[in-house]
Amino acid sequence: MPDMDVLLAGLSDAFSLVNLLFVIAGVIVGQFVGAVPGIGPVMAMAIAIPFTFFMPTLPAIAFLVGVNKGGLFGGAIPAILMNTPGTPDAAATALDGHPLAKQGKPVKATKMALYSSITGDTFSDIVLITISAPLAVLALKMGPVEIFALMIFAFSVIAGLVGDSMVKGVIAAVFGLLCATVGIDPEHGTPRLYFGFFELFDGLPLAAVAIGMLAVSEILRRLASAGSTPRSAITSLDGDDPTVSRVSWAEYWSCRYVMARGAVIGTVLGAIPGIGSTAAAFMSYASAKQASDEPESFGKGNIKGIAAAESANSAVMGANLIPLLVIGIPGSIAAALLISAFKIHGIQPGPLLFEQQGRLIYGLFGAMILANATNLIVGQFSLRLWTRVISAPESVIFSSALLLCIVGVYMSTGGLFGVAVMLVFAVVGYVMNVFGFPVVVFIIAFFLGGSFETYLTQTMVILDGDLTRMIDYPIAVALVVLALISVWWLGFRKKG
Amino acid sequence: MKKLSTFVTALCVSFVLAFAAHAEWKPSGPIKLLIGFDAGGETDTLGRVVAKAMEDQTGWKIIVENKPGGGGIAMFTGLAVAKPDGQTLGMGVNMPILVNLVLRGKDLPFDLDSFDYLATIARAQLAIIAKSDAPFDDMAGLIEYSKGDDGALIAFDAKPQELLMNFVGGASGANFKLVPTKSSAEMIQDILGGHVAASFAAGAHIPYLESGDVKMIASANDGRHSYAPDTPTVKEQGFDIFVDPYFFIAAPAGLSDDTKAALSAALNEAINSDEVKAVIMNTLKTEPSDLGPQGTTDMMTGGVSNVAKLFGK
Repeated sequence: MPDMDVLLAGLSDAFSLVNLLFVIAGVIVGQFVGAVPGIGPVMAMAIAIPFTFFMPTLPAIAFLVGVNKGGLFGGAIPAILMNTPGTPDAAATALDGHPLAKQGKPVKATKMALYSSITGDTFSDIVLITISAPLAVLALKMGPVEIFALMIFAFSVIAGLVGDSMVKGVIAAVFGLLCATVGIDPEHGTPRLYFGFFELFDGLPLAAVAIGMLAVSEILRRLASAGSTPRSAITSLDGDDPTVSRVSWAEYWSCRYVMARGAVIGTVLGAIPGIGSTAAAFMSYASAKQASDEPESFGKGNIKGIAAAESANSAVMGANLIPLLVIGIPGSIAAALLISAFKIHGIQPGPLLFEQQGRLIYGLFGAMILANATNLIVGQFSLRLWTRVISAPESVIFSSALLLCIVGVYMSTGGLFGVAVMLVFAVVGYVMNVFGFPVVVFIIAFFLGGSFETYLTQTMVILDGDLTRMIDYPIAVALVVLALISVWWLGFRKKG
Repeated sequence: MKKLSTFVTALCVSFVLAFAAHAEWKPSGPIKLLIGFDAGGETDTLGRVVAKAMEDQTGWKIIVENKPGGGGIAMFTGLAVAKPDGQTLGMGVNMPILVNLVLRGKDLPFDLDSFDYLATIARAQLAIIAKSDAPFDDMAGLIEYSKGDDGALIAFDAKPQELLMNFVGGASGANFKLVPTKSSAEMIQDILGGHVAASFAAGAHIPYLESGDVKMIASANDGRHSYAPDTPTVKEQGFDIFVDPYFFIAAPAGLSDDTKAALSAALNEAINSDEVKAVIMNTLKTEPSDLGPQGTTDMMTGGVSNVAKLFGK
């Protein structure tokens, strides 16, 4: 049990006025950069970190946490309103969020995203605050072999999203994996498919590919189909009519199982470093669809789809802090950035953190709760603001969005090379869309392909190149069996 | 008031620097400092803090830009063709550059002579570690252990580390199985979870040394570590090999002597400032070490032959 004095001191630090202002500032910045296509919370955090060295520790960390949490919800806004997600985990939100917005209920769709995002986030924060130590020990037991098996399981669940045509889905997945192999291979250090561009040694820049495929290709599609008469980017039927725009308690409550499952999936995948929020969002979405009585309503504006994706991808963040705080291991880029912020303040996350910096950690927990509340309140205003903004003529909206995508990718990838990659993949995404290849499948394969290869390589070294030796790893065996059951069940459901 | 006094101090400092130590040169516009890595990493943080200290001390305007790609190769490719007027500088880590120069020097659009080297900021301290209950305490013990049934799994996150272990393995007949990972955090996870026998670590392991969860087998540098003066280097343990990662700053070749002197003096002062010292201590657990222009050049030239040895060339 923690020392009560330390706990209270930490909490009172968190609830000080200065800290509160930094949290609010962070959430506002986070929601804004999250909502602007092309820029994301990760980039905002990366830029802010060197400056936090000149700030006191708790407000610095609280600000970054605020940016991150704000960004988790902010990212859903363009995904829902314009179908232009800036990150792959928001692409899962767009699957149902955008159809609902097109039905004239953009406020309702974003509200559902806000509520489920905060539900998932709060759940994983509570897990973090109460039982992080035993969970971190569990995460340590997950070695390369187990994580490899876990990824196979995740893939088997996500495979349910492959779409109507199995052949096209498989082609899109293989193409995604091919793109993931660009760069220096993890085992021998040989550069692959780099065509003389040293920029490609580290692989295709993730942000450029995601924004190109998901956001810019959609912008191209919309601009190509735009007529000569100006129309607004989205028609909001609800206006100020509360019966259309609100999410009733009954609707929220009907999503309870979906959100609970999303929160658990997000928390588990977040606590295990190396897999991340993209897999969590899609796994939650796919399992919500499969468990549903009416799976055909998914992808057509089902609020459960929004709830599944948002609760899972937001739950990842809180849970990412479990391995970070307890054993000093970041589970995502955002978590790695938080570690650098800790480090420049002379704080090394790890086994002694709670003993040496208890007050700071309880302050951080307080700041996280505060940030969730702030997110909920600020979100109410910002979603209205954005739905207003988006009702401007679509020629204005989409051309400014394109400009922002270019600027964002230029900044985050360090130059025009990233912009070129983005434009190439925008065209690729456009063409894939026209011919009915599922872009989402490509994105999942591309984003998870890199770490899948690393874990496969590690597993092969550890097992001496003999996969049958996996029998010595019971957790891995159990996960592979689960994967097989899930594939069998998928096929069974499809036929039945 | 405080602002005014800072301003006056900055003005005085820049006058002193301009007229005394720094000969005549001063930049005619903002200086661009290109970082060969993504924002938010160690190189980025160090570079930005050095730039800020330099700005405060000299009054020059310094703009930091990230140019990630290939461990710095993309940035140095651009730097090599920039104008050598002292207003474009680049910061990187020596190891990936040296490895690429050795492995595919002919394909690279630059070589060692494409740059004027100005300063090093610090040397990363690279250790070989194991869980504290491992049945060995030094390199000899690890080699002995690896000759058991299953060999010894060793995690690494950069090519030179793998080569160093291969060198040791080749010389001793050890059965090392090298597991490639992506970060030092992942290596610590593998050590603590008991998934590998030993791994490399560049500072992330220090809290675990203090808590007693891990032990240090050797320093992989060409010298012992400040926080573990009793642990001998791999070299001291009988294998003539080491890895010395340095953070360094260079400019395109062809700087005038005045420019070079002014820049390296300004960098030296910034690197040894209290802020930079604190950040280096916090992130790398070591002191700043500026080798100066000549020392940095020697470090790079010597590095090529050392890395060539790692590759057995």
